[in-house]
Amino acid sequence: MRSSENGIESSKEISQSEENVINFLDSMDTYLILVDSLSSALRQGWFELASARQSMGASRVNSSLFDLKSHHASTTFQVDEHEDIELPHFTLCKWASSDDPEKYSEEAKFEEDELLRNKSDSPRPQQRGATSHCSEYQERSAEIGGSPVKVDNQAEKERFKSLSMFGALVSPKLRATQSSFEKALEIVVEISNVRSSLLRSYDQVHEELKNTK
Amino acid sequence: MYGFEAMTFNIHGGYLEAIVRGYRSGLLTAADYNNLCQCETLDDIKMHLSATEYGPYLQNEPSPLHTTTIVEKCTLKLVDEYKHMLTQATEPLSSFLEYIRYGHMIDNVVLIVTGTLHERDVQELLEKCHPLGMFDSIATLAVAQNMRELYRLVLVDTPLAPYFSECITSEDLDDMNIEIMRNTLYKAYLEDFYRFCQKLGGATSEIMSDLLAFEADRRAVNITINSIGTELTRDDRRKLYSNFGLLYPYGHEELAVCEDIDQVRGAMEKYPPYQSIFSKLSYGESQMLDKAFYEEEVKRLCLAFEQQFHYAVFFAYMRLREQEIRNLMWISECVAQNQKARVHDSVVFIF
Repeated sequence: MRSSENGIESSKEISQSEENVINFLDSMDTYLILVDSLSSALRQGWFELASARQSMGASRVNSSLFDLKSHHASTTFQVDEHEDIELPHFTLCKWASSDDPEKYSEEAKFEEDELLRNKSDSPRPQQRGATSHCSEYQERSAEIGGSPVKVDNQAEKERFKSLSMFGALVSPKLRATQSSFEKALEIVVEISNVRSSLLRSYDQVHEELKNTK
Repeated sequence: MYGFEAMTFNIHGGYLEAIVRGYRSGLLTAADYNNLCQCETLDDIKMHLSATEYGPYLQNEPSPLHTTTIVEKCTLKLVDEYKHMLTQATEPLSSFLEYIRYGHMIDNVVLIVTGTLHERDVQELLEKCHPLGMFDSIATLAVAQNMRELYRLVLVDTPLAPYFSECITSEDLDDMNIEIMRNTLYKAYLEDFYRFCQKLGGATSEIMSDLLAFEADRRAVNITINSIGTELTRDDRRKLYSNFGLLYPYGHEELAVCEDIDQVRGAMEKYPPYQSIFSKLSYGESQMLDKAFYEEEVKRLCLAFEQQFHYAVFFAYMRLREQEIRNLMWISECVAQNQKARVHDSVVFIF
């Protein structure tokens, strides 16, 4: 009887350790895919920037036009570290109104569970992330009594405002550049969340290996 | 009298026409571009350019090179050639050559004003200005708070003064006002250049009218596409279009109300010269429109050299060199970013 109970416990421990290893490998896989996506997004962004310079002229697209006046950031990054939550959670708040930075018009939350759940559906996390945060925007704006159209208009307005340092009438290529770098920023936040999960999984596996020795 | 330029042109313009035709023979060929497109690093590009007329300008540049250095040095060559022609020119050719600079002067004015609005250092902005557009009091632009001051303090003594009459207001300078000022100035400049060429008459008038009309039409299309989805109203957009060109006035009426690229295509395809440009693009796409316009422009500029005894060759040469410098900038960027597969997206062959 006792040997069968010991057998059941040991098999439960083995399955738990296997699950931890699988979680670690899953996180590692997601992390590598995201790093690759980030590299592609940045590469695309820089190429489109060169294309915009070609189109608009070097005098209209150069670093000497960056706005050095103090102003509120339209996109901010938050770290939630609560006692109840094991892992720090990173959130990107995009295109907040620069007139009233307390009011967030859009949020992108990249839940690590959602990422792991959706990993098998598509190899392109930035598309998954975009899909997940679009639906979240609609839910969130519905909660606060707004409408998706208003949220989109506010975001478009802030996008236009941030590009206006290069002039009020910019080429569509420059807007494409902005989208690419925006995607890259979202992927960076996803990487942060996945890395956090990866490190936790690694610690768990490492702990188990130490215990078995 | 048109057709009799051969009798008198060479008295004052013969030497410089020969000079500019000599300069034209130094433009890079397709073989040069093929070699450049196969370069692995910017130092390879420098090595290939050392065998061209750009060689003396790049030979002393230390490694590692930057793409902006290549563009800067190639532009210096263009400026040297322009200054040589300007110092040798007599009226009315000297005025004609001065007109070629005014576009760059407008760009420099807007760069300084925009940079000052963004609290940038004036010296840093001056380094980014195009050398062809420099004038003595350009640094004083930084003190102006509105367009009236801009005109009164600085621009009244420059060749751009006559172009300011349509945009003098006391409104403070902001991004939209600066953009409207840029386009209004350029519109006034193009119209003034057009009238000047018409007064010159002969082959200069005929060829320059075609080239400037194309420039005005291209600007109208770019203003339309760039203003889609912005706060610029239809009336303000219409006011930025030049009052000449193939699209004036009915094409402008249609462009003023366009809300997307397909409507722009619909308006432009009614004009046979532009139908061929838009036929190269797929629906909803505008990425290759710039290249298509540049290719058409290069074709027209090359045709200017087929006729003698007119000033349009000078304008054509300057524009062809600027296109060549754009090509070199693009090739350098593709090589630097390891995107050689995309290099033919924007290179426009001249010959």
